[in-house]
Amino acid sequence: MFDLIVFFFFAAIAVIFALMVILHRNPVVGALALVASFFALAVMYVLLDAPFMAALQVIVYAGAIMVLFVFVIMLLNLQHQKEERTRPIQQFLGFVSSAAFAIALVYYIIKFSVVRAASGPFVSDARAIGHSLFESYILPFEMVSILLLAAIVGALILSQRGQSKGAEQP
Amino acid sequence: MSFDATDITLSILKIAIVLGGMLSVTPLMVWVERRGSALIQDRVGPNRVGPFGLLQSLADAGKFILKEDIIPAKAHKVLYTLAPMFGLIPALTTIAVIPWGRSFVLPETTVFGRRLFEGGRLFEPIIADVSVGILLIFALASLSVYGLATAGWASNNKFALFGGIRASAQMISYELSLTLSAIGVLMVSGSLRLVDVVHRQAGYFVLFDAIKLPAWNIFPMFLGFIIFLTAAFAETNRLPFDFAEAEAELVAGYHTEYSSMKFAMFFMSEYMAMATISSLMVTLFLGGWDIPWYNEPPTLLGFLFSAGAFVAKVSIILFIFVWVRWTIPRMKYDLLMRIGWKVFLPLAIFNIMLVAFFIAKRWI
Repeated sequence: MFDLIVFFFFAAIAVIFALMVILHRNPVVGALALVASFFALAVMYVLLDAPFMAALQVIVYAGAIMVLFVFVIMLLNLQHQKEERTRPIQQFLGFVSSAAFAIALVYYIIKFSVVRAASGPFVSDARAIGHSLFESYILPFEMVSILLLAAIVGALILSQRGQSKGAEQP
Repeated sequence: MSFDATDITLSILKIAIVLGGMLSVTPLMVWVERRGSALIQDRVGPNRVGPFGLLQSLADAGKFILKEDIIPAKAHKVLYTLAPMFGLIPALTTIAVIPWGRSFVLPETTVFGRRLFEGGRLFEPIIADVSVGILLIFALASLSVYGLATAGWASNNKFALFGGIRASAQMISYELSLTLSAIGVLMVSGSLRLVDVVHRQAGYFVLFDAIKLPAWNIFPMFLGFIIFLTAAFAETNRLPFDFAEAEAELVAGYHTEYSSMKFAMFFMSEYMAMATISSLMVTLFLGGWDIPWYNEPPTLLGFLFSAGAFVAKVSIILFIFVWVRWTIPRMKYDLLMRIGWKVFLPLAIFNIMLVAFFIAKRWI
């Protein structure tokens, strides 16, 4: 009963702040709303008996990635976006395609019942996750690592392009 | 899990003790800071209000409450008001997972004809003994930057904005070193629970079959401790790394526009964050509440001794914060970022390798 109250409270928070991310005009408020939504999501993990995932959710998404987002938004000092002139047909097509996508998503989730708890006891402590990452799934894990490394190197090369040689390293 | 009225009462008692301690950290530390800086700079310092100027902080608090609370006309009003709270909440909540004394059994007693603690009840001096304690601290500590960044942005002031931007860049950089330098401790204890981390440090290292050294993590991981201490200065925005406020360059940085209690909240969260990170440092590296060469009995007396030892160790670390602030001048900002990424991060990774080597050799 207590779990249910907590779930609905934080589910409401997550949904409200997620809506705020896309509906609010101010980019900084949107970014902070996304942080709140991530935080509410972390509570869901706690309710699912996965405190490790909850902590990682806050550290990685709310603590690291969103700090970077807020940093960039503030650095560029984005103010209220000027409303671009859009044709009614563009707006109409936008609404129709997103509605179609949403309906398709809900239909397939219900049809194939993706949302189903796995059988057996649910273990998600640090030890279990470490074992599965470094034993069962070592190859995909290493592949993702190399992909990320390539992305970092690519970003560095792109940011260096156009700068004169011998320029001060950032 | 079931709990009764006694459990709830004990929990409330624990929260009251910790919250009272945390709230009194700020006035005490302000006094230590002002008198300490006077000592270091060969001045007298505040000595008019109360004995040794001890009540100076109380007078300051009165001043803060009575000052006019100004919200700039062009500020983002909602975020401007929320920002000090964003700063204060992580600083107040993280302390909940840190154990601050030896657990002991409360004996059965009769108070006003009611029997309490039937058959004895274990009193654990920690508010929330969660299985991912240390991760929870890092998670909440990483949120504290939003207070500074939001304050800087919402003030609509270019100096404040610079302060907020610097704070976020600095925290991203030093959080990595802070977390990585603590991994050595977790490798040794094999648990994310801070109670286990403290219990792991209760024994002795015996050197050359003669010298008994307490099994604190600082001895095998001195490098990790130094990295953690330095990163802690950066995380709490203390000199020599206080670029978020840097009076000489940015007027007062992120809190330029703040006055009255909103400013006082930033002030409080800075000192509380210092207290929390010092407690974490003591728990991870200095044996927590463990008293070296002494075996605390599992009674009320042993608990009081161990809690006293914990407070004493935290006070020493807090004094180091003050000592460093009034001794080392502020660095250059680009130097801060450079040593963060190019010195401390590689050293922290080297520390992990070193600890892994020790463990493989079975030295610790």
